[in-house]
Amino acid sequence: MAIPGVVLREEFDDWAILFNPDTADAVGTNPVGVAVWKRMDGKRSLKEIVLEIKTSFEDAPEAALEEITAFVNTLAEKGFAGLELESK
Amino acid sequence: MSAKLKNKIEPTASSVMRTPRTLDIEITARCNLRCRYCYFFNNPAIEYRDLPTDEWLKFFDELGSLGVMNVILAGGEPFIREDLPILLEGIVHNRMRFSLLSNGTLINDEIAAFIARSGRCDYVQVSVDGSCAAVHDSCRGKGSFEGAIRGIRILQRHRVNVAVRVTIHRNNVHDLENIAHLLLDELGLPGFGTNSAGYLGTCRLNADDLLLNIEERKEAMAILLSLTEKYPGRISANAGPLTDGRMWRRMEGARKQNAPAFHNGGRLTACGCPSSIISVRADGTIVPCSMLAHSELGRINHDSLVEIWQHSPALNQLRSRHTIPLTGFEFCAGCSYIPYCTGNCPGLAYTLTGKVDHPSPDACLRRFLEEGGTIP
Repeated sequence: MAIPGVVLREEFDDWAILFNPDTADAVGTNPVGVAVWKRMDGKRSLKEIVLEIKTSFEDAPEAALEEITAFVNTLAEKGFAGLELESK
Repeated sequence: MSAKLKNKIEPTASSVMRTPRTLDIEITARCNLRCRYCYFFNNPAIEYRDLPTDEWLKFFDELGSLGVMNVILAGGEPFIREDLPILLEGIVHNRMRFSLLSNGTLINDEIAAFIARSGRCDYVQVSVDGSCAAVHDSCRGKGSFEGAIRGIRILQRHRVNVAVRVTIHRNNVHDLENIAHLLLDELGLPGFGTNSAGYLGTCRLNADDLLLNIEERKEAMAILLSLTEKYPGRISANAGPLTDGRMWRRMEGARKQNAPAFHNGGRLTACGCPSSIISVRADGTIVPCSMLAHSELGRINHDSLVEIWQHSPALNQLRSRHTIPLTGFEFCAGCSYIPYCTGNCPGLAYTLTGKVDHPSPDACLRRFLEEGGTIP
């Protein structure tokens, strides 16, 4: 799930910056990453997020699960998100 | 979703951000010193009064809602505000980081510990303009050197990141090597920044005594460029003799080789701040920059900041300044440096010429050379 203190700065081009004020780290992400971030609420599972993304975006690739998983892992490594073991 | 996610952890590219990334805030109009070259005081455009705590806290809530990342608190002297801890808590509460620009003399253990505990301070900048009291205090007043050094040591003791700014003027240009030794060798700071006294505020009243003449500018450039070789990567500048020396070397080299224009050359491209930063005066008036304090865009808690940021005609005119070619100015007529020149600071251009949309005479290489200057 998203770390609560992290700031999402959305820009005009639908890209965004995720900013962690506690560490001063910032990363940029594209509109799909923004959509994923907004769904990382601790209630949805990763598979549920992927399903919603596939529904929301045209031309979703077959490898969406792998790509989104990698994206979420990167956020976790950089301290922008925490991972929980899925029980579902 | 053809744009793959895994390679998209990279900065976005946009000329103007949707909301400001950074706020420069003059959190107070009060100061315990009266420095002879202060840009802040003696500006007839400014109403020198402070806002109450709750006004700022309300504004910080707005900044938090806009995703502002950094707040830089200046003044006046920000540590003079008795409510500074409350204000900093308001910034932290709204998920922002902060920096403070200070003369250092009012910093004590209590506030330094508070800043350190917050975990959100990028740096506290302390002004040091001399290697000893005789030089530093000549413009800042008796006891200010001792207070500044004491403030730096307190911050260091609490592991707060200290940034020092050296403002170069006629009284300290011959002390630069000693200043570098004090800051980098004796105090062990990782680096320091430099600029020079400019024709703004109180300095306008003391310009003849303080502003560098041509010979002193040459000397300051040469010394600073030499010091950057002695202390690689530890002396920086965004304006002043070091910036001029570096920039003018590039410009002269390009002119001699008849090189293509620089990517930002030939137009009023300086500076880029209005695409990511906006300022607020101590009385709550929103302005593009503290150096353009006369340009009133609105008031905090009365006008929407995002509305001003996105739609203010004055701000958007400033942002479009980069489209104005230098060839259109009589001031630049016949200048061979035009392809490599950015027109420099709009704030200094305004204070020196009365026009924002004009190149700044202060940073004009041709004029510097015509008046006897040489590039080190």
